[in-house]
Amino acid sequence: MVSPVQVSLLIKLASYSALFLSMAYGARRYNYLKPWAEEERRIANWKKPKRIASSFWNSKVLDSLLQTSS
Amino acid sequence: MAQFVRNLTEKALALVNTAVAYSKPRLATFWYYAKVELVPPTPAEIPTAIQSLKKIINGAKTSSFKQLTVKEALLNGLVATEVWMWFYIGEIIGKHGIIGYDV
Repeated sequence: MVSPVQVSLLIKLASYSALFLSMAYGARRYNYLKPWAEEERRIANWKKPKRIASSFWNSKVLDSLLQTSS
Repeated sequence: MAQFVRNLTEKALALVNTAVAYSKPRLATFWYYAKVELVPPTPAEIPTAIQSLKKIINGAKTSSFKQLTVKEALLNGLVATEVWMWFYIGEIIGKHGIIGYDV
């Protein structure tokens, strides 16, 4: 087997610090993006046309209203 | 039904045993190399690392990096890429997802 290489200390320091800093960065960014995405979803659902108006026009209430006048 | 369950557990156990037997020597080689190469630097070794960093910065200031051969420059680029990939792996761990943020 090839004998293990003595990795330079600067490389090890840089890689482990990159690892831990990026874990913190990933967690931070996830916590920042989560409420923003929920807000986006809320706005997207609000823009959908409301079905209350169409259900009113198809209801029997309107029929009964029209029959009283005729 | 009971026969089926018994067969299933036997096959599953056999599978687990083969997996363990396969991975044990490979894990041993991994541990053999990781003990030397992947050990994080102790606080006492950090000043040595900072010395190497100062040497690199000096090299950049005095343009002595132009004396490097292409092969050395490529190797340095490869090492720098590996350090940068550690950053992405840490980000994957931090955001609990492999591709994209699962919001």
